[in-house]
Amino acid sequence: MAFEGEQARGSRRRNRIHGHSLVNKRYANLRERIGRREVIILDGAIGSEMLRRGLTWESHKVESEPAAIRSIHSDYIRAGADVISTNTFQLARRSYLNHFADHKHMRHIGAKGLGKRAPALIREGVARAREARDQAGRPQVCIAGAMTTLDWCFRPDQAPSQRDMRAEYRETIGAFKKAGVDLMLFETFNSSREARVALEAAREAGVPAWVGFVCDWKGRLLNGETMTQVRKGLRGVEPDVLLFNCAPVPDVTRALGELAKVYDRPVGAYAHVGRFDPPDWMFTDEYPPEKYLAAASRWLARGAQVVGGCCGTTPMHIEALKQGLPKTVSS
Amino acid sequence: MVRVLSGQPGKPMSYEPVRDKLERGETVLLDGGIGTEILRRGVYWRCHGIEQHPEIVRQVHLDYLAAGADVIKTNTFQLNRRAYLNLFHGLEHMRHIGPPDLEHKARKLVRQAVELACEARRLAGREGDGVAIAGVISPLEHSFRPDLSPSPKACRAEHAEIVEQMKSAGADFILLESMNCLHEARAACEAVRASGLPVWVSFTVCENGRLLSNEPLGKALQAMRRLGAEVVLANCAPPADITKAVALLRYHGARHFGAFAHIGRYDPPSWKFGFYPRFSGTEAFPPERYLKAARRWKKLGAQVIGGCCGTTPDHIRALRDGL
Repeated sequence: MAFEGEQARGSRRRNRIHGHSLVNKRYANLRERIGRREVIILDGAIGSEMLRRGLTWESHKVESEPAAIRSIHSDYIRAGADVISTNTFQLARRSYLNHFADHKHMRHIGAKGLGKRAPALIREGVARAREARDQAGRPQVCIAGAMTTLDWCFRPDQAPSQRDMRAEYRETIGAFKKAGVDLMLFETFNSSREARVALEAAREAGVPAWVGFVCDWKGRLLNGETMTQVRKGLRGVEPDVLLFNCAPVPDVTRALGELAKVYDRPVGAYAHVGRFDPPDWMFTDEYPPEKYLAAASRWLARGAQVVGGCCGTTPMHIEALKQGLPKTVSS
Repeated sequence: MVRVLSGQPGKPMSYEPVRDKLERGETVLLDGGIGTEILRRGVYWRCHGIEQHPEIVRQVHLDYLAAGADVIKTNTFQLNRRAYLNLFHGLEHMRHIGPPDLEHKARKLVRQAVELACEARRLAGREGDGVAIAGVISPLEHSFRPDLSPSPKACRAEHAEIVEQMKSAGADFILLESMNCLHEARAACEAVRASGLPVWVSFTVCENGRLLSNEPLGKALQAMRRLGAEVVLANCAPPADITKAVALLRYHGARHFGAFAHIGRYDPPSWKFGFYPRFSGTEAFPPERYLKAARRWKKLGAQVIGGCCGTTPDHIRALRDGL
């Protein structure tokens, strides 16, 4: 596939220095399956699943409630997920810094170690997913390091400068890589501009990457970009899989339809079910597993090959996908 | 100065006794931390605790009254329309993926919060007894981020909206709290003055005694005095920084001024959602130690003294007994 050659070119320097294999065996296997047009099952929600299980999400709980986090991952593996994502959404240096006037103010009045908390929690979050995989005895399951935009995911207007983004993606992806993820899942992205920076940084680090974009209800990205603009914006750095996520089911269906007109690489989707009720999630019964499966079948018909669930979905939703979807898509 | 009273017909003019105390040169005792105290009592921080645990919010007010506070602050810090809207791409997106009626939530919570403070005063039997309710209004954006402050025009309009909510719910006066830059403080102060409610303005200060926007505190003091603020205060910084600010307020000739420091270290959660009042390590400043700092403020002439994040009813009790 084209991206392998590109990836090798992009990360030649780093590769020479560290001598890593570009892609681990586990991910290479997944990539082959994608190449064979197999349907790949992604996991469902983590944050909202914590809420559903009576936990709150305000500190990710990867350190303080390891068993609970592990069991969410285990349940998704048991449900049939080929790829599980880490409970690390929103973890980046900026997430803490944004609460202060500047670095100096953070050091002056902030809790000790705030500057290092994000990489520490990323390490713990990845460890919980790896433990779940080990316990399940499913060594082929890939672990995706979940990372969203550096600033607020629904606010493309808040994206940092190109220079800041580059530095922060390098740093954060470095933390995920060190913790042992098989790929990066850049999710709930709101512009091709930021996705491009993230993808370049992942390539440089030699970590495979997928990108999930938030779409609006008109078949565009949240920032108004058309699918043609997205294709152009990602030219040369295309992710292994381009997905839509964190939008209601009909919006995702529509976006996939629009994308299919202009893009012919692997795509996927995971929609949310319910309502974003900050700082929590409001669960609704609009899409019980069977109905979600029916929606996912429509996504397959629009070219999606990787499917899973975003906020509000549960292991039952993922199990329904695993049981109900065909093993391959016709190409 | 023209005295504008809060009095709607039949309503006790609760601010008057506080004003009289200030004129007589007496100390007015403010309450302590609200959000941090609600959190400390085990409430999960959502909707300021108002929807799920109004009884705990009310009890916090009651405990501050019992500790001797003359003024109680409403549980409304960083509670405004923007706090919810900011988490979406815009109003249309909020309506599309948010729960029904989220755009009206802040307004409803503000009303409930003011009512809870009023109820606590009634339950404590302190109506018409010199206790005033300060409707707390914070910067429209994150209080530690002056760079995010909206345009003066937007500030004026949105603060006016919140002032009206506070006034109709029964706040006796407005405390503009943790103000971080001059233009927003000015706009907010004008909005309060237009409503006829008395206004106090409190600024968050840096180590060097300036506002977080790096504007000088002396300049802010003069501007607020010209706009009719009755008390100018410094808050939401560690006690040592507050002492420096109090000295500056005195140096610049403030008439009535005050102070309330935070204790411990601000410890925001790992998620990105806005305001979350968690302070860790507050045990480093037990009531006796806080009292020592407050004594310095009083000595420097501060007349309104209380506590910011991390302080508890015990801290306020220590101030009542020790000042």
